Amino acid sequence: MSYLSTTDFTEDEAFVDRFQRTMKGDLDLSWLDEPRERVGCRPENPRRGLTFRDLDVGGYGFSEMPEVIRKNRSFAPRGAALADGLPDLQADVNRKSEVWAYNVEGYYEEAMTRQWNATTDIPWADLQAHELPEDIGKAYAQLLTFLTEVEMIATDVPAKWLGRLNADFFEVKNFIATQAMDEARHAEIFRKRALSTGWGLMRASAHNEFNLKFLRDADSFAEASLTLHLQAEGMVLTLFRFSEYISPTEGDKKLFRLVMQDEARHVGYGMQHLKWVLDHYPERREAIHRHLDEAENFVFGAVYATEVLEPFIILAGKGLKKENVAEGIRITMAFNLKQTDEYFERLAKCGLPERRDRSRLWKATEMARQSMASAA
Amino acid sequence: MGYFAETDFFEDGQLIELLNQILAGNLTLEWYRVDNVRARAVAADPRRGLTYADCNLGQYGYDDIPELVRNRNSMAARGSVLPAKLPDLGYTINRKSDVWADGVVVLYEEAKTRRWAPAVDVPWAELAARFDRTREAAMAQLSTLLAEVALVAMEAAARWVFSINQEFLELKSFLCAQMIDEARHVEAWRKRALVSGEGLGRASVSAEQGLKELLSAETYPEASVGVNLLLGSFVLAACRALAALADTHADRRLAVLSMQDVARSVAYGTAQVRYHLAHQPARAAVLAEYLDRTEHTVLGIFGSPEFLEPLVLLAGRGQQPAARARGGAFARRWFATAVEEYLARTAAAGLAAREERSRLARLVRASAA
Amino acid sequence: MPPSFPSVEFFEALRREMREERERFSRLGFFDTTFGVRVLDAGDRPAEFVLTFEVFDCVAVEDRRSARPRDFVLEGPLAAWRAMLDNIHALGAADTAHSVNTLTHFGESLRVCYDDPDGHDKLYRFAESIQEFFDLASRVDFTYPDGSRPPARHTPLERSAP
Repeated sequence: MSYLSTTDFTEDEAFVDRFQRTMKGDLDLSWLDEPRERVGCRPENPRRGLTFRDLDVGGYGFSEMPEVIRKNRSFAPRGAALADGLPDLQADVNRKSEVWAYNVEGYYEEAMTRQWNATTDIPWADLQAHELPEDIGKAYAQLLTFLTEVEMIATDVPAKWLGRLNADFFEVKNFIATQAMDEARHAEIFRKRALSTGWGLMRASAHNEFNLKFLRDADSFAEASLTLHLQAEGMVLTLFRFSEYISPTEGDKKLFRLVMQDEARHVGYGMQHLKWVLDHYPERREAIHRHLDEAENFVFGAVYATEVLEPFIILAGKGLKKENVAEGIRITMAFNLKQTDEYFERLAKCGLPERRDRSRLWKATEMARQSMASAA
Repeated sequence: MGYFAETDFFEDGQLIELLNQILAGNLTLEWYRVDNVRARAVAADPRRGLTYADCNLGQYGYDDIPELVRNRNSMAARGSVLPAKLPDLGYTINRKSDVWADGVVVLYEEAKTRRWAPAVDVPWAELAARFDRTREAAMAQLSTLLAEVALVAMEAAARWVFSINQEFLELKSFLCAQMIDEARHVEAWRKRALVSGEGLGRASVSAEQGLKELLSAETYPEASVGVNLLLGSFVLAACRALAALADTHADRRLAVLSMQDVARSVAYGTAQVRYHLAHQPARAAVLAEYLDRTEHTVLGIFGSPEFLEPLVLLAGRGQQPAARARGGAFARRWFATAVEEYLARTAAAGLAAREERSRLARLVRASAA
Repeated sequence: MPPSFPSVEFFEALRREMREERERFSRLGFFDTTFGVRVLDAGDRPAEFVLTFEVFDCVAVEDRRSARPRDFVLEGPLAAWRAMLDNIHALGAADTAHSVNTLTHFGESLRVCYDDPDGHDKLYRFAESIQEFFDLASRVDFTYPDGSRPPARHTPLERSAP
């Protein structure tokens, strides 16, 4: 049986009595005189409307929020008067630096206004007018199969943590909710596009499924966010940009531009969260490195995901003939290097420049770069 | 850290060999040669775009999902070709009729198109110069309570998403739509309180106790009937009341836009019970027993002084005795109507005889006597 | 000749106006419902109309003979409908005291009739679209059965109740 309220309200005579008297206009009104911080928030920029940043006032705001939330363990909105008897939400995460990110409130507002619709915002009729040749069609359907498979890990994992965060971190909870919706939309758009090509869905990606398990089973929100938002989504962002570049039609380019917007927001949160952690909780540095060691192991192992690598080669080279494949390999390897470079660049910008020195992925990338340079 | 890969890939000679082969132009193309099922999804109604209903094709479609999902424990896209070894991602909800609802795909598509953004879709500036302190204090208190409710509704959807098998993609997507709907309500009600000039009101002990009981339901069908149908019915009624009592376009719009979102959740909750009981008729007794012991929570929430007293003040338009009497009459009627409509939904969902069993109905009768 | 309320011609006029505002209605989102409008004392018997909405459009306006199942019916005396339409016409859109939700809230002015709660709940799922549809009456020149017309538009536009 689940949690039970401290009283059964329909059997609680005092409660029912008060309820019935209220409905006769006999009011207690003690809530009216509850001491509180009286504020009248206004939009700073009327064109932007009333934002969370406009609500960053006094005790209601996020700026004044302490590192450790000691008082509010309930569902009470931050700054509301707390009474004895409020239940315990059983939040596991009560330390701001576990979850917070610079500009999280901005990312949330942006997400709310930039929700697009996979059903109506893509020119489906135009896309379907384009018949893709077999090699391109199958390669593209395979890429889309991979993308629809992996997207909702970034729904499941943050959603798992949402209810475990202290209620005072509602800006983060709200951001997680927008990410959940973004990722559902991504799973949707890639699935729909695959099914609209006429080729159907292709093969699931075993290696990437094990990577998803690694992401799902993270022990803490901070670990989950590091590998999901920053490492995984950072690399996916570069992948979306590459996919836009190699897209077979204008409609597909639009598709990747739209998903790219969402992904960039998630990566932004990931980066700003890491910065916040390193600024406020520097002793986490070593744990972060250890977690990235294993995350990068999965990244390196992605060679086994030939159902991802080879479609890229075919799409980039525009076919299966020997010369197409050679060109596709050249372009795809350049993309892989770029993807890795951007990942380390993000880490450096967030305050982890030493990552390159201890990363086996970086060493392997450098060897590959040298090897390509000698072959050229 | 929870899970480690079976292999240290940096030490894996086979991986290097594979990479070298690919770089030499020897693609494996194993995926290229899979024996998959070809399909072409086409928009049945171009005005609507390409919906999930259009993708309901053969083994790719949601109609093809079996009642019990076995051997599908990864995030592999439904209908895709499965390689030999896939991990078990630990889903614990694998029975379609525990989560599914006819029309959930329609509700998902509707949720996406009917999105709104509180920052810009409510004319907040209209609320800037409000001088009725009692009214604004009442709105601030109501908004505080509704923000508490919205937070729990958001967490309720989030709590289950992780555990639900990915085969139920469209249903999980609808839960994501619910999450963003409720995030929007957390935001909107907080903004309403903080624009009032009064600040936030008092967190409600009875409401939060009731909300925690609803949130901690042990099974998904119980959670859904509790949060979507039971709680949702009353939140919907609250939004309707606030829209009816609004004296500004801003407050009317805030309440109506919220109402739309909540009505979708109520529709899903009703349809989910119907589907559940159509496939698991023996569960009717279980859900009935759950509601028997859980309905009291909405009294704790909507009978709380933090909800009911502000409603009385708003409806009566003041604090004088005549105003309070007017407001009290409104609140009585509001509660009775909310219970009546909730019971109509439970009946439509297949939970017969709820009216006789419901302690809420008994309370309404006792209050009328 | 201007249409009379209530009549199929009146609702056809609203339908035409809705087509002109396609952008606005599409931003509100999918609008999928069939509902009835019943005016109780417009003549020998109640006048009933069936309005069908799909995607972003009003796709059909029919009279009582329509076989389409109604999700719900908005019903009320002519005086109540007139009060709403007069308000819409004067202000450009209903004020808070004359919105569909307010008028139907406890069923004192207009009532919501339904067989199935799912149908009933569509009134709330599509509330803003339904309201904006009725608000289009502000652009239509129409008469009432007694030959009178709704009031001319006030200036300035006032949406909030006094």
